[in-house]
Amino acid sequence: MLRVVKPKNARSKRAMEAREPKEVEDARTCIFVRGTHVGELAGAAMKELMALKRPHAISFSKKNTVRPFEDASALEFWAQKNDASMFVVGQSTKKRPDGLTLVRTFDGRVLDMCELGVDRFVSMDAFKTPKATPGHKPMMHFASELFDAHPRFVQLKSLLMDLFNGEEIGQIHLAGLEHVISVTLAPTPPSLASASADEDETGPLPAVHIRAYTLQLRKSGVRTPRAELVPMGPALDLSLRRHRMADPEVWKLATRRPKMRKQEVEKGVGRKQKNMEVDEMGDLRGRVHVAKQDLSRLQTRKMKGLKKGREGASGSDGEGEDEDEDKDGGKEAGEEPARKRRKTG
Amino acid sequence: MDVSDILAAQAEKHKAIAVEKEIPLDVDAGFLAVTDPNPIEKESYDENVEEYLQSTARDGVQVLLSALFSLPTTSSPDGPLAQLPPPTTTLPRAKPLPKPKPPTKWEKFARAKGIQKTRKDKKEWDEEKQEWVNRWGWKGKNKEEETQWLSEVPANADVDYDPTKKARDERKARVAKNERQHLQNLARAQASGAERKQRKADIDRTLATTRVSTASMGKYDKKLDGEKKLREVKRKFEPTEVSADVEKKNNLALLAKIGNVPAKRSKHEGNDAAINVRKAVRFASKGEGGVALARRAEGKAARGKAGRRK
Repeated sequence: MLRVVKPKNARSKRAMEAREPKEVEDARTCIFVRGTHVGELAGAAMKELMALKRPHAISFSKKNTVRPFEDASALEFWAQKNDASMFVVGQSTKKRPDGLTLVRTFDGRVLDMCELGVDRFVSMDAFKTPKATPGHKPMMHFASELFDAHPRFVQLKSLLMDLFNGEEIGQIHLAGLEHVISVTLAPTPPSLASASADEDETGPLPAVHIRAYTLQLRKSGVRTPRAELVPMGPALDLSLRRHRMADPEVWKLATRRPKMRKQEVEKGVGRKQKNMEVDEMGDLRGRVHVAKQDLSRLQTRKMKGLKKGREGASGSDGEGEDEDEDKDGGKEAGEEPARKRRKTG
Repeated sequence: MDVSDILAAQAEKHKAIAVEKEIPLDVDAGFLAVTDPNPIEKESYDENVEEYLQSTARDGVQVLLSALFSLPTTSSPDGPLAQLPPPTTTLPRAKPLPKPKPPTKWEKFARAKGIQKTRKDKKEWDEEKQEWVNRWGWKGKNKEEETQWLSEVPANADVDYDPTKKARDERKARVAKNERQHLQNLARAQASGAERKQRKADIDRTLATTRVSTASMGKYDKKLDGEKKLREVKRKFEPTEVSADVEKKNNLALLAKIGNVPAKRSKHEGNDAAINVRKAVRFASKGEGGVALARRAEGKAARGKAGRRK
């Protein structure tokens, strides 16, 4: 267990503050852990996945006795120590050869896990093509209907998106889009296609193909360019093995969204804001609607000549009052913003 | 006027970037992700896997690019930046949401009074020097009185009156006061919440116990001003006539408390079952239990097989 320490100087204070929970989080740091025996295939796959994940990747190059599905305490300790929230654990055993386990944590505790077996792996070096710059944000492509329907694949999609692309960014330079990570499933077996999604242990699950391509933009005559893909590597064929779903309670906590900040609400990001706007000086301006005043009831100066006759009011009187009303209404509308301005400025 | 030519030309232009799919793709521009919900075509997949994967990916990326290139942009020194919408996919957070800081005593007061926060600059304009000087800290303006070469002395001052020392002491006292208030705020923040409520409840309970812990059970104790009467447990008399259901429930609850547990047993085996399973097992296994019965049955079967093999 880590001690709760008070920072002794400004630098360590900044470092500790950087680890505190933030409203909008940075990309997840991923630790690549080698198990007791990794094997060639899984080891190479880990190395290349790490190349894609860089710079948010930490390599644990020594062997570690770690079995995520039996005891995850080591992972939780590393997560806290390194401020990392994701793991890729490589482990090859006789029963489960060439396994990669994706582990995700929440608040220093393991949230969910998914074990993948590497069936086939082609390295980046096998493709003699230009590679993407490390640190550039990849685009993600998922293809299969199971990514929306089957709980195992929903989890896998979520994990892979978190691994490669889980950072929220406000804007992006479109010329900087360099590569695509494509995740495609093998054709859905009939047992899965017919059965409902909740029976996930019935038949074999389709294989997962992960491919990385570089993007080439060609002119198309319109604003949107035509996309061409060039295989960049690595290419992985994976099969799903053991998994652990997130606890629904913890999942609920983990997916809680921050309340919207004042500025965003003013901009109208959340629900639609009526009668409020921010002008170019940054002041919040409001428009107030006042119900139309009933001026016919207004008591004016009492004179004998203006008294209502016993037979009812004459038509001409009514018209005159209407005109007054309009004039007053107009004046008030003109005054309203001025009053508001004094308050906000 | 015939516009079919123009329309055809326009369609021709868009042909290069058009993607036709049965089910429209699901684009999450915030995460630069696209999901293709169309089922995988088995024939073309079997024919050439790599080619099929690449063509599917290209179609998906093309749709994503059209979404990205239609986003509003802002200019920057590096080129136009596309403004991404907030992502639609919910990914779990790595850490829980930050807790809001508990307000300080001043902040509470200011909010109640509607006092706006004004941020002071670190620098202040010095009229004499005609330059910006620090408000505090190195060569700070708050040390001006201590460092000036001439200072006023009141007419009735002591002989050993030192205006420099007085100004310095006052400044140091202000710093100390601020530090004290800071610590008080921290203590208040820590004490608030569930912990504090628990402590309060404990104290109340202890006080109530001590008040009745004298020989006269507190009857002849000195009362303080404004001391409230102890709230006692009110006796409650049940009506003598209650419905049969309620009476049964009460009695069963009483029985369960005593240790005779008819309620639990009835949960395990239905009352309306024709056979008392427990009793039957006990009888069949001659009182040894279900496990022994199963073992014996297994042993018999194994022996039978072995005999057949001969």
